Amino acid sequence: MTLGRATIGVALCGLVACAGVLGLTRSGPRAFPHRAHVIAGVSCTRCHASAGDGVSAGSPASASAAASAGDGVSAGSPTLRLPDDASCTTCHQKPHDPRSCLGCHVAPGALAALAEARDHLIFDHRRHLDGVANGNCMRCHTGVADGDDHMRPAMTTCFRCHDGDAARDARRCDACHRGLADQAMLPATHLAHDGDWMREHGTRAASSSDLCESCHKAAFCAGCHGRTVPALPAARRFADPFAASVHRAGFVARHSLEARAEPGVCATCHAPERCVSCHAARGVAGDQHASPHPRGWIGLTAADNQHGREARRDPAACASCHGGAGEALCVTCHAVGGVGGNPHPPGWSSRQSLGSMPCRMCHPTGSGATGRSR
Amino acid sequence: MKLALALVGLFGLHMPAASADPLRLRADALATTASPAGLLVLDASGAAEPGLSAEAVVWVAGGQALDDRAHGDVLVMAIDAHSGDGARAAKLGRFVAMLGALRPVHVDGGALRLRLPRRFDVALAAGVPVLPGLTTHRAWDWLAGGRVARRLGDWGSAGVAYEQRRDAGQLVTEELGVDAGAAISRRDDLGARLAYDLANPGLAEVGLTASHRGAHVRTELYVVHRAASHLLPASSLFSVIGDVAAQRAGAVVTWAAAPRLDVIGDAGARRVDMDLGAELVLRARLKLDARGASAVSAELRRSGAGTKAWTGAHDKGRLALAGGFAVSTELELVRPDEPRGRGALWPWVLAAVSWDRGPWQAAVAVEASASPEYLRRVDALCQLSRRWGAP
Repeated sequence: MTLGRATIGVALCGLVACAGVLGLTRSGPRAFPHRAHVIAGVSCTRCHASAGDGVSAGSPASASAAASAGDGVSAGSPTLRLPDDASCTTCHQKPHDPRSCLGCHVAPGALAALAEARDHLIFDHRRHLDGVANGNCMRCHTGVADGDDHMRPAMTTCFRCHDGDAARDARRCDACHRGLADQAMLPATHLAHDGDWMREHGTRAASSSDLCESCHKAAFCAGCHGRTVPALPAARRFADPFAASVHRAGFVARHSLEARAEPGVCATCHAPERCVSCHAARGVAGDQHASPHPRGWIGLTAADNQHGREARRDPAACASCHGGAGEALCVTCHAVGGVGGNPHPPGWSSRQSLGSMPCRMCHPTGSGATGRSR
Repeated sequence: MKLALALVGLFGLHMPAASADPLRLRADALATTASPAGLLVLDASGAAEPGLSAEAVVWVAGGQALDDRAHGDVLVMAIDAHSGDGARAAKLGRFVAMLGALRPVHVDGGALRLRLPRRFDVALAAGVPVLPGLTTHRAWDWLAGGRVARRLGDWGSAGVAYEQRRDAGQLVTEELGVDAGAAISRRDDLGARLAYDLANPGLAEVGLTASHRGAHVRTELYVVHRAASHLLPASSLFSVIGDVAAQRAGAVVTWAAAPRLDVIGDAGARRVDMDLGAELVLRARLKLDARGASAVSAELRRSGAGTKAWTGAHDKGRLALAGGFAVSTELELVRPDEPRGRGALWPWVLAAVSWDRGPWQAAVAVEASASPEYLRRVDALCQLSRRWGAP
């Protein structure tokens, strides 16, 4: 009981001590209290007076030209439609601090996010404010009154009205986004690249590769799936430990374990002969006179004959060394009439002709005598 | 240029008013003491007109560990043309062709995509499979395939793909693929793909995924089925020994536990032949600033099945400093269940310093490891990059 209480106490102390690092508390600037202002009946445009001035976002004259210590963006910049101190002191006539209001009353990163939206979105506030929003900013900025410090509406909010737009159907991101590839921004609201995206992306891309191409160029896919890849993108970004990759960290050491845990997965990008060519180049297991197989690998009794089970389990591993001319080794026993018997499982069939490879290796006369069904 | 103009004429490109993408060039030089080896990668892209763009990535390398044939190659060299409304698109050159559920193939060839009435889409791809090395003598190998898909309202699509590939005239791949994707609600979506081997009939690959996205938690269920014998070329002797497939199924939960803390848990099972194993991953990532420029991450993993299972830990961190400098480090420890005399613990560590200022990027690192291959190994890595054109 005492130990349990002590554990809970230590955990609570740890949580309190780390609250700032976790972002649970903020010692510096905090989100602007929009909700309090809305409840007090202050309209949005009373502070954000320039919101309906009709200047489209995407203007190169963004606020990023100005600088401040936190976000590299000037608070109160008119290009971000933010209020200046004069707007605040209209009501708050006795400021408690001589510094600029938005120097403190804004969430960390919010100004930079606004400037990024300003640079990369093609958007006309006035058209929306006068049109569908009918003067109600919260039609789109839905989270503001809940204390959300992320001013930019989610893309799903846009699609509530822009459902079925030709540009959307055509996967034309550039109808709204400008310089998307330069934002280094992962899609957060319509296709999140989180979880185990390295495994998931193939299934997602299968039905929507055109969506992938709206951000990623051909070199992005070829960077991993190409046959002429000199080094994986992550290997060229070794100083960024958070760069996603299937072959990160000590993969060279554990690759045989990973390959055998998922037989065939290597073939997604690599040719079967990749294993032996790399091993030969590195001088690993390249000695043709020393068998890498354990004792009992091949023999005349079932107990002394592991290779059949292992070959069925991971044929790609066998093919990596014994592919091509090396297949002749198998045929010495498994040809029609050989001591190795029929390697095909019950019910196996093929549309290959007996005269083609690899059939003709064991069926030189076109015979199906091993029981092979077609 | 004539080829580009021909594509423009062929597709009757309607040029939108937007300006073309700027020309970009990026050069990456990488050197390591491992071989020793050096690598220079040039990456260029740009658009002569809106709707008509080109990109190329070429590289040259040197070093003892490299195959003698592979001192330089072309990764991508393609011209892409599309109409203003995206209804017609074509690609010509060297690129990775993707046809729905079928595996991507690196080809020298062309691809075409058309949007037809009644929400049908057609994609076609054909070409010569890429072989490594700047070889001029090659067999008459080719592949051709296509995909027909139909968009289902605004919430999904389903498609069927077919591909045939031949080496020296002999059939090596004939596959049929089926794919589907659906957003069944604002927070739930599904994805599925299936590849069926027609040469030696049998399921080659199946992938199913379903995800739910909550306010702070994303949950994904997945199933993967893969039969290695069907993924080998049909001309391989090892493609005839049966359908012993490997399966994996599980759930991934991504939890935004705190504004700067993400926790990811992956719990599943893996089956390879008669062996059953657990697939467990627990990963936490903590951003040390609002933008995530500095962050630390820790991961514990249990993976594999049977005698090939292993347990590991992977920690990494990056700290952004003033002046565009950053320091980063990674540590991985892997403990195989059956070391088989190759060491009970395989450590790997990397420490790096990087600098990113304007168009220049530079990084140096020291990598040390012990593995089944090397009792101990220390390498130094160095990278220098320069960008021209747009950032």
